[in-house]
Amino acid sequence: MPVWHAALEPFEKAGKVAVVAVVQDQHPDRARLFLQWKRVGWPVLADSLDLLNLDTVPLTVAVDEYGIVRFTELPMSATKTIGETFIDQTYPKPASLPPIDRGRFETFTTWTMAIEAFERDVQRNPNDGPAQFRLGSAYRARYDSRERRTTDFADAERHWTRALDIDPNRYIWRRRVQQYGPRMAEPYAFFDWIRDARQELAARGETPVPLAVEPGDSEFEKPDPRALAKAPAAEPDPRGRIRRDAGEFIGIDATAVPAVPNAGDTVRVHVTFRPNAATKAHWNNTAEPLVYWMTPPSGVTVASRAVVAPNAAAEVSLETRTIDYDVTLPASAAGRVTIPGYALYYVCEDVNGVCMYRRHDVTVTIPVKH
Amino acid sequence: MKLAAALALLAALAAQPAKPKPIWARNNPLPTGFNPGEAFPTIALPSAVDGRPTSVAEFRGKKLIVNIFASW
Repeated sequence: MPVWHAALEPFEKAGKVAVVAVVQDQHPDRARLFLQWKRVGWPVLADSLDLLNLDTVPLTVAVDEYGIVRFTELPMSATKTIGETFIDQTYPKPASLPPIDRGRFETFTTWTMAIEAFERDVQRNPNDGPAQFRLGSAYRARYDSRERRTTDFADAERHWTRALDIDPNRYIWRRRVQQYGPRMAEPYAFFDWIRDARQELAARGETPVPLAVEPGDSEFEKPDPRALAKAPAAEPDPRGRIRRDAGEFIGIDATAVPAVPNAGDTVRVHVTFRPNAATKAHWNNTAEPLVYWMTPPSGVTVASRAVVAPNAAAEVSLETRTIDYDVTLPASAAGRVTIPGYALYYVCEDVNGVCMYRRHDVTVTIPVKH
Repeated sequence: MKLAAALALLAALAAQPAKPKPIWARNNPLPTGFNPGEAFPTIALPSAVDGRPTSVAEFRGKKLIVNIFASW
C-alpha cells in the first residue's frame, strides 16, 4: 500500500484522481488506525456486512470519471506510470449512469432494525449465504453497541458459520469466523500490527485513532506478554473468602466459539466484563489487574487456569474488558460441559466512592453436539 | 555421488503433485460491478469516521482508485 500511495500522491495533489478505501473489517476503526499509522489520509468507507459481496481482499479497482471500472488492479509497471495507463486516458461517456443505491440499509437507525430485516431475509431463504453473513455481522455489531444482548455474539458466530458452510470459498467470511475462534494450529497475526502502530504513533507524537473494541487474545498471533507475566500460578481464592459481586458493579457474560462444538473440539471462550453504569462502577487501575481463575472438570484441558486482563493506563477507567482462552473438550464429552470459575478485580463505586476487591463467580456452559 | 543424490531429489520434487491452491485463492469470478466495462456498485456505505452513508458514485467527475482491504 505505501508504494501505491507514493505513486498516486502526485496525481491526488494535482486533483486528477481520488482514492477511497473500503474496509471489510468487522471493526472499521482498526482500518482507520492502520491508515493513520501508514500516513494515508484516504476517506474510509466501512463494508463490515460485505454488501459489495466480495469473496476476498485486497482488491484495487480503477474507476473512470463516469463510474465505470477500467482495471481491477493498479495499471502500473516498471515502464508505464498509472498516469499513462489510466489517469490521463480519455474514456467515452456512457449513455446512462446508474443512480446512487441508497438501498434499505440507510433506513436502519438501530442494529436491532437491521437484525430484524436480515432475519426475514434468512427466513425467506436459509441458504442465502450473504444474508447469513450480514445477519451475523449485524449481531456482532449490536453486541458491541449500547443495544447489546448477551446472546448476540453467539448468534453472530452461528450465522457466520452457516454462511461459510453454504459457500466455503468466501475468504472474508472464513477470516471473520477465525478471528474470534480457537487459536489456529498455525496462528494468524490478525491484529498484532496494532501494538507496533500504537508505539510508532506515540513516538511520532500522534494520538492513535481510539478503538471502540480492543482486539481479544484470539485476534493476536502472540498472547499478550503483560497478561502472561501477571497470571498467578496458584488459585487466588481457594476457600471462597472474597466478598461476592453478583453484578452490582461488574456485569459478566461468556460466549463459546463455536457455540455447539463436537466432542474433542477446541473452543474459544470469550468472557466480557462491563462496569455497571447504574452504580457508576469503574475499574481501579492502581491495584492488581483482573484475574480470571477456572477449574476445568476432568478431561477438559486449558493452557492455563489463570487468565489476566491488564489494567488501563489511567488510574480509573470505565472500559469493557475481555479475556478469551481455548478449551479442549475430551473425545468422550457429551451433553453439557460446565467449567466453573471466578473473576477477582478491584472496582470502585461511584465517583470518589468506595473501592473494593470483589469476586464474581462465573460458570461457562458449553453444549456438545449430539 | 552427491550429484546423483541431488538429481534424484530434484526428480522426486518434480514428480510431486502441484501444491493445492488455498481455498481462499480468487477462484470465484468477481461479482458484477468489479469487471472492466461494468459500472462500479453505487451502494452507499457508512463512513468509518462518522457513519455518513457515502456512495463511490459521489466521486464521479474524477478518476478514482478504490482500494478494498481489511486491516487483518
